[in-house]
Amino acid sequence: MSRLKPPAWFVLLLPAIIILAAVVLIPLLLSLYSSFTPYRLTRPDSLYRWIGFANYEKALTSIHFWTAFGRTVLLLTIALNLEMLMGLGLALLVNKVTWGQRTLRTIMMFPMMFSPILVGFQFKFIFNDNVGLVNNALQSLGLTDQAIPWLVDGKLAFFSILVAEMWSATSVFAILILAGLFAVPRDPIEAATVDGCTPWQTFRHITLPFIMPFIYIALAIRSLDVARAYDIVQIMTNGGPARRTELLWTLIGRTGYVDARMGYANAMGYISIFLAIFFTVYFFRKLNAARGELGMAS
Amino acid sequence: MAQVQLRSVVKKYGSLEVVHGIDLDIADNEFVVLVGPSGCGKSTTLRMIAGLEAISGGEIAIGERVVNDLPPRHRNISMVFQNYALYPHMTVRENLGFSLKIANRPQSEIDRAVEEAANILSLSDYMDRKPGALSGGQRQRVAMGRAIVRHPEVFLFDEPLSNLDAKLRTQMRTEIKKLHQKVQSTIVYVTHDQVEAMTLADRIVIMRDGHIEQVGTPLEVFENPVNTFVATFIGSPPMNLLPATITNGEVAIENGPSVALPSAFEGKVREGQAVILGFRADNLMPRGHSLPMEGQHAAFDMKVNLSEPLGTETLLFSSLAGREVQAKMLNPRPVSPGETLPFQLDLTRCHLFDAASEASLR
Amino acid sequence: MNENLKHRIKARILKALHLVALFIAMAIICVPGLWIVLNSFRPTVEIMAKPPVWIPSELNLDNYRAMFGAVGEGGVPVVQYFTNSLIISVTSTVIAILVGMAGGYAFARYRFKGKAGIFIGLMLTRAVPGVSLSLPLFIVMAKTGLIDTHVGLILVYVALNVPFTIWLIDGFFRQVPIELAEAAEIDGCTRWQAFWKVEFPVARAGIASAGIFAFLTSWNEYALASQLTRSTFSKTMPVGLRDFTSEFTINWGGMCALAVLMIIPALILTFIVQKHLIAGLTFGGVKG
Repeated sequence: MSRLKPPAWFVLLLPAIIILAAVVLIPLLLSLYSSFTPYRLTRPDSLYRWIGFANYEKALTSIHFWTAFGRTVLLLTIALNLEMLMGLGLALLVNKVTWGQRTLRTIMMFPMMFSPILVGFQFKFIFNDNVGLVNNALQSLGLTDQAIPWLVDGKLAFFSILVAEMWSATSVFAILILAGLFAVPRDPIEAATVDGCTPWQTFRHITLPFIMPFIYIALAIRSLDVARAYDIVQIMTNGGPARRTELLWTLIGRTGYVDARMGYANAMGYISIFLAIFFTVYFFRKLNAARGELGMAS
Repeated sequence: MAQVQLRSVVKKYGSLEVVHGIDLDIADNEFVVLVGPSGCGKSTTLRMIAGLEAISGGEIAIGERVVNDLPPRHRNISMVFQNYALYPHMTVRENLGFSLKIANRPQSEIDRAVEEAANILSLSDYMDRKPGALSGGQRQRVAMGRAIVRHPEVFLFDEPLSNLDAKLRTQMRTEIKKLHQKVQSTIVYVTHDQVEAMTLADRIVIMRDGHIEQVGTPLEVFENPVNTFVATFIGSPPMNLLPATITNGEVAIENGPSVALPSAFEGKVREGQAVILGFRADNLMPRGHSLPMEGQHAAFDMKVNLSEPLGTETLLFSSLAGREVQAKMLNPRPVSPGETLPFQLDLTRCHLFDAASEASLR
Repeated sequence: MNENLKHRIKARILKALHLVALFIAMAIICVPGLWIVLNSFRPTVEIMAKPPVWIPSELNLDNYRAMFGAVGEGGVPVVQYFTNSLIISVTSTVIAILVGMAGGYAFARYRFKGKAGIFIGLMLTRAVPGVSLSLPLFIVMAKTGLIDTHVGLILVYVALNVPFTIWLIDGFFRQVPIELAEAAEIDGCTRWQAFWKVEFPVARAGIASAGIFAFLTSWNEYALASQLTRSTFSKTMPVGLRDFTSEFTINWGGMCALAVLMIIPALILTFIVQKHLIAGLTFGGVKG
């Protein structure tokens, strides 16, 4: 008699699937369920009252939600694009160096080692209107005699958050794109220069298509981890003052933990999950397309 | 007019000098092959002409123009690379038309030039494929096509055939030769394969350790090598070299027989001079299996250690004066190892080199 | 010669610009971190001074002494936090690597239906924002009594790290030619032996770097830890940083000292593995 043996790959993947199911999937199902209830931490019985899509309706009609949502998308779009461009620039700068490149690469990885919360504190400190590095420097240089309220004014705070986020993540792009630049074969580049390309044309027509997959890997990796920005924002402004830098994540955190309205927070949480998944899937698809372009597809 | 001139061109990497001030004049429409063992500086020289490597000293001129500091795009050249260097993300058509597109030529002109190149190299069937879907020979042809669409003043080839298998290499060699006759322009071609150099070149430049050893037509360098290096590098199998001394007006091979001094060298050697006697396998043949030797020649017996039948001839490996020499046998018959045969050496085609300087004494 | 001269001058200018740009970029990267380190050696009075003190009059270890001696403002139990962080990060990393090795091997060596789908699915679990996940996790952990325990946070970090570990290790195993394992099997190894004696040693450096990546993620994680830990017994250092803040003031000096304590292990580990880390990320991604 033959017993059906599960295939080896399944056995090997099983621990991963179990742990992810237990820690991610089941809580997510719970949160999906609770998003259809008016669940409050302080009133456990409220978990069993079904209210349908009321939480979602509430979120989707809330001006607070939409401003936070819009601001989150805006921050992500600006941050990811700028990080990508600056990472590319940085990688190109380092790639051109002929001496001490190892040292430069090591320095480049510096911000990657900083915990996002540390980045938050660090830039909260740097942008502090009273004792911060930026204001101190501006004042000592005589550029202004006022204490610029970097973290209080809505626009300036958004800018400060953007700077902190970019400082912490640009090096991820730079490192990955630099790896891409190393992998570009030298021949086609030389062929292009002989074919009459200016340095810019060589970059545009040869180098860029070659490093495109690496750019998308970086974008995919970053978008997997994009909610790291929550740590930074929570420390720097926590969405405040007066919701002027509210992002989806800080709104969720406050609604859930401070207001204890878990059901409502979970409903918004689901929307944030779909946002993250959207970005990730989008970049994975781009990655595959770029790979196909170079004939690297599996 | 696109002659290429190199004057005292030097290349240094840091303190390491790899090309030591070479001078070379390449005429318009000439096919010049730079040949030498790996590391001799031939590729570096080519890349300096292309502008891919900066020159550390001297002067390079293309046409009438000094191009020392000009980037490649201002030199009006094109280049075929060893690994083809095709753009993997472009189709064959796009690869061929790329340089013209970059130069902002009208689309109709690009199409015409691409079509023409495709016809010359019979690429028309693969125009919409990407390089990844082509065979080695096809890629090679695309690389050449890419070079010719621009009608440059100078073509540079950097070991273009070294990645092909033997049969394809012979075939492509012929195509390159035909191409030169068709497109009429100056070609500088780098290879380490002396057969390629002999068959393709109008003139061969033999390089070693960053120096030019000899420049000449294929026959010149074959017939009159200036030193033992060129003598062994050009021609297959390599020239046999035996140390000898001029004794009593004869060439006394070390630990071996003496042969008469070839008449071409009379008065050019002195008594007691240490020399090297050089001769090719084609001029050392067993009696009865050789070309008629009407001029001055020597005769001696040698034991055959190994024979390699090649069909019309057999290559014989024998020992003379304790050294291995290679000989040829025409109208071959089977030879068993250890068999002793009477050999004839055609002295009119022998070379003498000075033992110390290794330079030809002719 | 004029044309040549023009190009030579242009090349010189570009080179100078390149160096200037490089210097500015590196300065921007380094200054914030160096400022933290500098401030960890300065007394709070000097940090808060107005007008600012640019050249420190004295550097001392007061902040570090206060931190480890649990005296001074707040008395933050730094040693306890450090131990918590270490236990949680190391344990979760070891488990994540074992789970990730099994998973990565499955992706690298077996062909099965829906492979790409399963892979993306695993990755997407990583895309769930920490704060969105922390709400339901908080409820589940509270119900199962795992809240505020090492075990609870370890489990969470394993789950957090497994997707990425699989991605990296998959890449490393695919760099090991399959012929190697096949040769070992022909030489008489079982598949199990072939793995441990041949494939694992070859991929070991890469696996180690995946481990360090996982360690750093756990070491630095804040969003989940801040909700799932409550007391000194399980708080990690990133959460502990908040102990230096009170309603209206922040003890910057003390915080900088703790920050330095957090960065140093991360710094050392990252430098050790940087090469493998980059290779792993890009190989897995590019070769599909």
